[in-house]
Amino acid sequence: MRTMNARILVVDDDTALAEMIGIVLRTEGFDPVFCADGSEAVEAFRSSNPDLVLLDLMLPGMDGIEVATRIREESGTPIIMLTAKSDTADVVKGLESGADDYVVKPFNPKELVARIRTRLRPSPHTSADVLHVGDLVLDVAGHEVRRGDGKINLTPLEFELLLALAIKPQQVFTREMLLEQVWGYHYKADTRLVNVHVQRLRAKVEHDPDNPRIVMTVRGVGYRAGTAS
Amino acid sequence: MRTFDWRGWLRRLVGLWRSSLQLRTVAITVLLSTFAVTIIGAYMAISVGNNLFDSRRDELLTQSAQASDTVQKLFNATAEQGAATNIENAARTAFTAVLQSSASTAGTQIAILRAPDQTGARVPNDVASPGLQPASLISTALEKRVTAAGASNDTPRVYWQSVAIRHDNVVDPGIVIGSSVTLPSSGRYQLYLIYNLSDAQQTLGSVQSTLLLGGLALIVLIGAVTWVVVRLVVGPVRVAADTAEKLAAGELERRVPERGDDELATLARSFNGMADSLQKQIVRLATLSQVQQRFVSDVSHELRTPLTTIRLAGDVLYDQRETFPPATARTAELLRTQVQRFEILLADLLEMSRYDAGAVDIDTEPTNLVRLVEDAVDSVSSLAETRGSELRVVAPGGYFEAEVEGRRIRRILQNLLGNAIDHGEGRPIDVYVDSNQSAVAIAVRDYGIGMTPAAMERVFDRFWRADPSRQRTTGGTGLGLAISLEDAALHGGWLEVWSAPGEGSCFRLTLPRERGTTLRSSPLELPPEEDRGDDDD
Ligand SMILES: Nc1ncnc2c1ncn2[C@@H]1O[C@H](COP(=O)(O)OP(=O)(O)OP(=O)(O)O)[C@@H](O)[C@H]1O
Ligand SMILES: [Mg+2]
Repeated sequence: MRTMNARILVVDDDTALAEMIGIVLRTEGFDPVFCADGSEAVEAFRSSNPDLVLLDLMLPGMDGIEVATRIREESGTPIIMLTAKSDTADVVKGLESGADDYVVKPFNPKELVARIRTRLRPSPHTSADVLHVGDLVLDVAGHEVRRGDGKINLTPLEFELLLALAIKPQQVFTREMLLEQVWGYHYKADTRLVNVHVQRLRAKVEHDPDNPRIVMTVRGVGYRAGTAS
Repeated sequence: MRTFDWRGWLRRLVGLWRSSLQLRTVAITVLLSTFAVTIIGAYMAISVGNNLFDSRRDELLTQSAQASDTVQKLFNATAEQGAATNIENAARTAFTAVLQSSASTAGTQIAILRAPDQTGARVPNDVASPGLQPASLISTALEKRVTAAGASNDTPRVYWQSVAIRHDNVVDPGIVIGSSVTLPSSGRYQLYLIYNLSDAQQTLGSVQSTLLLGGLALIVLIGAVTWVVVRLVVGPVRVAADTAEKLAAGELERRVPERGDDELATLARSFNGMADSLQKQIVRLATLSQVQQRFVSDVSHELRTPLTTIRLAGDVLYDQRETFPPATARTAELLRTQVQRFEILLADLLEMSRYDAGAVDIDTEPTNLVRLVEDAVDSVSSLAETRGSELRVVAPGGYFEAEVEGRRIRRILQNLLGNAIDHGEGRPIDVYVDSNQSAVAIAVRDYGIGMTPAAMERVFDRFWRADPSRQRTTGGTGLGLAISLEDAALHGGWLEVWSAPGEGSCFRLTLPRERGTTLRSSPLELPPEEDRGDDDD
């Protein structure tokens, strides 16, 4: 995935804002595509095949949460939500339906670009090609997770989350550490991001998500990878 | 062990006494009526006894007078006949006559004795009922009075005295009535009649026990009636109290049953009326606050989207300002700073309106306040440096964990620190943190321009600034302290100010360590004692 000329789908009904975002993105060397209606968003996603989606939560036609769910059904492409309210249940709903991150309006260009860059950057480099967590095998170069012969479909973000834990199996990661490593936040950010995505990851990789063996909870501290078997 | 049980019992009784109006009313009524019935009963018993005795005595006095007359007549007749044997037997004859006359009731004892002041031969001899020892029943006082009356022929002719008659180990009340009679040939004699009054005593006893029983029955009856009456009144009151409690707990549908037209029904009706209007008000306010909340969030969204566009545009222009002619470059700069200011103002206003709508939830977790203070100090340290103020944190040990929402406390601290730096005249700023078992306090002390008492009254007012023209570095809408105050109140905490012109200001934030507890005092003085020891290092 190349950062330069990465294609970004901007789904926002406010044309002025969309156009402004487009200007900012173009200055930064991205290739923006636009869609102003929720009900056309999925169609636009299929036809433009973007590297990342900027999605307004409040949209005519179909709301952002619904759009995120639909996109997640067919692809792991990073989704960043644009929201006017950070403290509502909408944000959690958006994250639960598959959005990777969110930006609160009013944001400034640097903030937006930084969020986009983090989601588009390549995974951290490791010496090992293959890592083991529990009964899972992580193919680092191929961005693949397998259990036995079956392949498990993870989004890039979920893969990166699992990889971060797997690279240092001994270490306990606090939510803040994960926010920094996986989401690129260097200051205090919303720990709900971690909570929600750990849940989504567990739903995919655990045999019994209520009794996790791969992404273990360390009470009062955070998470660590399960021991390889 | 036993005393302990006894105490517990007593405590329970006192508790019951305090809590039950019914018990208290019945107990007081019974107590008072017992008192009244006792007094009335005692009075009645005494006066009945007196009357009984008086009438019996008067009757006996009449009887005695008759007996005395009989004896006198007999004596006179005997003297006229003059026979010596008759005279010898006169006393005995008289005795028999009295015994047989109506004057004697059963158990009456009779004595005919020669008056002690008579000289000469004792003819006839003294006569007395068998078993009667005149000396033991007839006191000398009575004897003297009878004697004196005999000597002077005075009226009244009968004299009496109460006595106790002892027989067979029983003591009966009795009365001795004496009179003087004269046997013309041989001198004066005295007739004593001793009546036993035990029958009257018996009557009195039965009257008294009737009174006692009647009194007891009356008291029990009064108690029962009070119990029923109080129950009739207290019952509905209790129902009303229960309903009020349920209402207060949020069950707005609760009502008191209305029955009849009496005062209690009026109470129930007005209670229900109150509940109705209360419910209406609450529902109205709830809808109002919902509308307000929705409005706030709509405004928030509607304003934020264009503001984002303006901000992006401003920043894009600002980034390219070097390529513009100077005037345009300056415009780009102004645009950017004013958009930032607008953003802060909008955020503050939204926060304020959220408070006004009551739409604020607090999300607390145990937080180390010293860490929080250090964070806040770090975040303003570069600002402090440009103004030349040194920031010092004074935090002696203690319990520093408190259940707070970190974001809000950080916001309060940033505002207090920003204000202190703005008005601190470049002098050092001390931040004190201290705690006790129930509370944590943070005080921000500056040694800058300070405030007049009039200004102190208004610092927490919205949009109020002492000197609007003063150069500002931390925004400056005048909403900072108003929001801080709301944030503190949301935690159940206090935000107070001390200030003196030229001496600087001190803002003290006190927070309960546990959510929901009420503050009584603050661990820090206002302003805190100056700590001069730590300047050396
Ligand atoms: N430490 C202080 N010393 C002297 N005056 C103060 C101090 N703190 C606050 N004030 C006065 O109280 C006013 C209100 O303060 P407040 O924090 O509410 O608003 P602000 O700082 O002007 O703006 P904002 O905090 O909203 O950016 C200030 O403008 C100032 O006049
Ligand atoms: Mg301020």
